[in-house]
Amino acid sequence: MKFFDEDNRVVDSVEPGRAYVTSDFLKRNHLSVGDQLTIQHNSVNVTLTIAGRLKDAMFGSTFMGNVRILMSAEDFAGFQEDEVIRQYYRGQICYIDTDNPKALSSQMGDVEGIAFDGPASMIRMCYVMDMVIAGVLIVVSICLILVSFVVLKFTITFTLQEEFREIGVMKAIGIKNRRIRSIYLIKYLALAIVGAGIGLAGSIPFANMLLKSVSENMVLGSDNTVWLNVISVCVVVLVIVGYAYRCTGKLKKYAPMDAIRSGQTGERFRKKSIYRLGRSHLKPSGYMAVNDVLSSPKRYLTIVLAFSICAMLVFILVNTTETMKSDRLAYTFGKVSDAYYTDVNASMKNMHGEGHAVMEQKLDELEDILAENGMPAKASVEAWYKYKVSFGDVEYKITCMQGIRTRITDYVYSKGTVPRNAHEIAITEQIADKIGAGIGDTVQITIGDVTDSYMITAYFQSMNQMGEVIRIHEEVPTDLRDCSGLMSFQFDFTDHPSQREIDRRVEEMKRIFDSDTVFNAAEYSVDCIGVVGMMESVGFLLLGITLLVVILVSILMERSFISDEKNEIAILKAVGFRDACIIGWHVKRMLLVSLVAVAIAVALAVPMTKLCVTPIFGMMGLKHLQYEINPWKVCLIYPGIILGATVITTYLTARYTKKINPSDTASIE
Amino acid sequence: METIIKVTDLCKSYIVDKRQNNVLKNVNLEIEEGEMVAVMGPSGSGKSTLLYAVSGMDRATGGEILFRGRDITRLNQTELAGLRLEEMGFIFQQMYMLKNLTILDNIILPAMQREDNRESRAAIVKRGQDIMRKLDIIEIADNDINEVSGGQLQRACICRSLINHPKIIFADEPTGALNRSSSDEVMEELLRINASGTTIMMVTHDVKVAARCQRVIYLVDGNIKGDYELGHMTSGDQLRDRERAVNNWLMEMGW
Repeated sequence: MKFFDEDNRVVDSVEPGRAYVTSDFLKRNHLSVGDQLTIQHNSVNVTLTIAGRLKDAMFGSTFMGNVRILMSAEDFAGFQEDEVIRQYYRGQICYIDTDNPKALSSQMGDVEGIAFDGPASMIRMCYVMDMVIAGVLIVVSICLILVSFVVLKFTITFTLQEEFREIGVMKAIGIKNRRIRSIYLIKYLALAIVGAGIGLAGSIPFANMLLKSVSENMVLGSDNTVWLNVISVCVVVLVIVGYAYRCTGKLKKYAPMDAIRSGQTGERFRKKSIYRLGRSHLKPSGYMAVNDVLSSPKRYLTIVLAFSICAMLVFILVNTTETMKSDRLAYTFGKVSDAYYTDVNASMKNMHGEGHAVMEQKLDELEDILAENGMPAKASVEAWYKYKVSFGDVEYKITCMQGIRTRITDYVYSKGTVPRNAHEIAITEQIADKIGAGIGDTVQITIGDVTDSYMITAYFQSMNQMGEVIRIHEEVPTDLRDCSGLMSFQFDFTDHPSQREIDRRVEEMKRIFDSDTVFNAAEYSVDCIGVVGMMESVGFLLLGITLLVVILVSILMERSFISDEKNEIAILKAVGFRDACIIGWHVKRMLLVSLVAVAIAVALAVPMTKLCVTPIFGMMGLKHLQYEINPWKVCLIYPGIILGATVITTYLTARYTKKINPSDTASIE
Repeated sequence: METIIKVTDLCKSYIVDKRQNNVLKNVNLEIEEGEMVAVMGPSGSGKSTLLYAVSGMDRATGGEILFRGRDITRLNQTELAGLRLEEMGFIFQQMYMLKNLTILDNIILPAMQREDNRESRAAIVKRGQDIMRKLDIIEIADNDINEVSGGQLQRACICRSLINHPKIIFADEPTGALNRSSSDEVMEELLRINASGTTIMMVTHDVKVAARCQRVIYLVDGNIKGDYELGHMTSGDQLRDRERAVNNWLMEMGW
């Protein structure tokens, strides 16, 4: 077994008094390398200096509840010497190579004392959110590539239209199509090489930034990265030149006569105006903006597509993050309560034979403390046990959840009837798939030495253990010695306070318990999911990329519109239109097009979120969920930012129209 | 009659490749209200530059241009735009209109843009149709600009120039891109407009067109070389004699 530090160097040994921890551990506890870390349990009290960051694929994920601290054998021996720790807390991690993980998992049902087991794929699943983020960035990149190609096509077509005279003259003097085409291809080849070179240089810090979160836990990269990048750049250049070759095919259509006839092409059969000025209630600038879009909608398709796709991705991420930040997912981690208090030490102390009695005492204590502080509440906690569950030929060790001081009716079920007695259970759809049993079937569960039959009466959803859990009735006799974990202490205030009061009490409880790990339902969800902060960061990054696309597309399109409409602008100025009116026309037109794009994105945001994100939640154990939609963000703030960027960019670009003089009408061709 | 335009020492220079090119050199000119003046001269003599400078479309480098007593060289771009919108009309050689608008909408657009306009939209539309009817192109009101002939389009441009009741119409080779019959039709319309009291200043290369005007100015190298008073044309029969007279005069000028 090898361990690596943050610079991918193998950690051969750890000096006594020093320790390596994961980056996530440091972040969560606001620590940094060089800080002192005190580990206190039972009679042992060890203070270690954090020597560095440990890359830990297994325990480095925010999804993993446990942490790994790499310390010297001497320091570890201190823990071994403690009788309680040695007996109740010591464990081992076994890595097993097998070509049949399913059979192995089934066989392990008979092995005692396994707190956690799972295939290697489960470790990969812990990085599902990193994969989601990578997926989002890939989609954004594809969108950017599509936008680039559309813009490239537009630019080439536009250049050819602009240079019809030169092309016509070249043809008139006998230069062949192939030669003329090669002039443009060489130009685009040169541009592509320059662009690709800049891209290659820029990709190094950008790729490092994107990989940062994953590379904190894993050793990534290979010696061939540079060559892969160079090959990719060559492919990009070739694709661009190939695409430019295809787009320049149009110049075959330009005849020598075009040079003489002023290149009057296409325009003659333009679609008739369908929106009449006489019937419009808009000012001329507004009317012209609307009429332009209605008369030639195809012209604005690029903008609509680019803005819609980018905005939709932002909205999908906003919806997902909002859902994760809300209390909508709290029920998937257990009973929904007013407040939660995570105290790992207090929980671990009770995982022994007398645990139930001690736990009851602890819950009484907590209730008393809160009551003394004017917060009457009922305290409860949920215990997880690993029991052997068999159905037909299959046999698995599965996590069974049972509440202490809760009733099985306190939980949310998605299908079936709530278990009514100790011989009825509820399972998740993941467990149903795994063991092949459904509602109405009876499974065998071995609790301690007793194997009994339990009928499945309901399905429920859980994000605990990736959804692989069973809920058992509170009357089922369990022993905390078999407990594989205790969830946070939960509190339901009996005086039914408002959410604002709950939030105030949560802050008060933090002070009373001297702990940061007191949450309301939404915060508890965020803490359990663990990646909400990262999702928000990616959301902002995506918004930044979207704004970049919006700004780039707005500048490019607006400049091309100005160039295309130079004559019209000159005529309008000649007949007395002011600069402000002409700029207003262009800004309103772009605003209208972006409004359409954003409206499409808003309309499709929810169905697309369901389509794209629900399968990801499904992997985490949640197959059916209602999204938390923040109308302010999705319908106002983010669209406002996108529209604002469009308007400002278009306004600044449209100011170029000031350079067109009324006297330019003299040079109209 | 009152002077509508008075140009004093008008200069216009361009810098090309760091060299100053003086297009207009101390031009002095007066145009009376109701006059129809043709500006002629060889290519590059500064005809269009004079027209654009006098109409405020282009900035003069020096000198003074009084339009109805107001020095337009002192006006900013916004004020100039307002002046062009409310008191001037323009006709160009290329019958350029907005391609996404119908003929009627192109015509009434400047009227809709007037900020002091208290007319209802319906009244403006009706006025636009009336002008089109007068110029005999009402049947193309709902057409797109690419569905009509050059002559019709130029008449539509005349309609647009008339929509805001201008005091003066500036025309830059209005018949330059038309065939003879269309050219005659357009000139007939301009004569009618002039007869109704609107001043017209027109750049042209065509002697036939110039012969219909009351006055011809001949420009050479940025200076007015000659100013020929033709007077009003009272009947069509005079046209041939006027053409001959203008031709002879132009020959004297070095045409």
